[in-house]
Amino acid sequence: MAENKWTVNFEIYRQKGQGAPKFETFAMEVRPDEYVIDAVERIWAFHDRTLTYRHACHHSTCGACGMRVNGVEKLTCITAIQSITRNGGTVRVEPLRNFPVVSDLVVDMGKMYTRLEQVGFRTTVPLNEAPPPDSQGIQRDRGASTELERLVDCIECGMCISACPVPLTTPDYLGPAVLAGAQHRGLNQSSAQVLALVDSSDGVWRCHSAYECTAVCPSSVEPAWRIMDLRKQVVKERFKRIYG
Amino acid sequence: MATPAKTEPNSPRNFLKWFDARWRDSGMWAFALNRLTAIGLTFYLFLHLGVLSTLARGPEAYGSFLQLIKSPVFVFGEFLVVIAGLYHGLNGIRIVLTSFGIAVPYQKQLFYVLFLLAVIGSVIFGIRMFTV
Amino acid sequence: MLSEKSVPKTGENVWIWLLKIVTGVLVIALLFTHLVINHLVAPEGLLTYQEVVAYLSNPLVAVMEMSFLVIVVSHALVGTRSIVLDLNPSRGLLRLVDGLLLLVGVASVVYGVWLVQVIISQG
Repeated sequence: MAENKWTVNFEIYRQKGQGAPKFETFAMEVRPDEYVIDAVERIWAFHDRTLTYRHACHHSTCGACGMRVNGVEKLTCITAIQSITRNGGTVRVEPLRNFPVVSDLVVDMGKMYTRLEQVGFRTTVPLNEAPPPDSQGIQRDRGASTELERLVDCIECGMCISACPVPLTTPDYLGPAVLAGAQHRGLNQSSAQVLALVDSSDGVWRCHSAYECTAVCPSSVEPAWRIMDLRKQVVKERFKRIYG
Repeated sequence: MATPAKTEPNSPRNFLKWFDARWRDSGMWAFALNRLTAIGLTFYLFLHLGVLSTLARGPEAYGSFLQLIKSPVFVFGEFLVVIAGLYHGLNGIRIVLTSFGIAVPYQKQLFYVLFLLAVIGSVIFGIRMFTV
Repeated sequence: MLSEKSVPKTGENVWIWLLKIVTGVLVIALLFTHLVINHLVAPEGLLTYQEVVAYLSNPLVAVMEMSFLVIVVSHALVGTRSIVLDLNPSRGLLRLVDGLLLLVGVASVVYGVWLVQVIISQG
């Protein structure tokens, strides 16, 4: 197999502490079928050991390597260089939007994790509960066996929150990942506190239907549909609480 | 090579980014245009209500107002309002439908169809407004 | 840094959101009606003062226009409030904005009713 090598310029976002951010360009020799994370890793290994970035599984299940590649949220471990540029091209790599930057390409996702926990985010579901991606609703089959489980689709990568226009201007919006998590848990399985959390101006009613979350989700979670479904769940729960 | 702007995440100062839909998908364009037309139409609404006060000042006031709005600047402004209204109303239908869980998997196609309708409507109105 | 509030902000709830959506749909219907009736009554446009007086003297028309005013102003102001909410105002600031929006809304409707009265009385 002939080794087809490209030269691609990687414009990497750099920011340390409270200093001014800047782009640093590294001309890298890469194979076109390599992934963006491979290039970032080689930049760190052979060019600049001060570059900070997150990565773990390298096969799109851990959600660690989410970054903006040429302006769009991508899991860099499955974004092939040839899918976003050509020989001699430039790839701009920036951290996720709407999260505070800790250092270079690493952002602080603490708030998202806390909120996911607050809404009772489930990490596994019984097999029979997993709906197809574009389904119009989750049917709960309470009688079925719950022995076999699988991991839920959401890998907590935070890309949906980065793509959403609402957290641009407010830190309080729960965000697609969290609302999708609440929907998936089901409000009828949740406490009054969770209901109050999602039935608020920082919950389901803040969504402006931009659908960017669904557009960038690498895992078919479909957070936008889940937010709309959660609205229905909220109305249902409120009715139940009034009429018993 | 451009220098990235230092941004604070989640700050109201980022509001201009609502209207920056570069590299984003159609849904963000839909949102950005919806918000832009909303602001424009709100200004127009109160302007419209305001100028109607000429009706309270008698036929001469109303007459001279009607003369004023014949000028090209005003006609063009009215055209912008028509375009904004068409877009905002049609996209609004998409938002109502998807908010109630209808056609959510097809929201992108719905946007393209309604946007096309808005364009067609604008062309029709444009022709009627600019040809006497 | 976590700033979790013990009580969620209730700046917008299902009712306000529903108001936005319902008035939005009604605006489409009323705007259409407004333009069609305008055109039916005066195909060349309401180009003289007397035409406007005659137009508004029809009680059905006056009712339609008043409903349109209430609905469209509500939609515009609730929408404006949504944009303000996106900017994460403090509780105090939000209350101030609410007061201003309510004032503008009521003033607009009062002004509209007054205006129609004045015009009709010229007939």
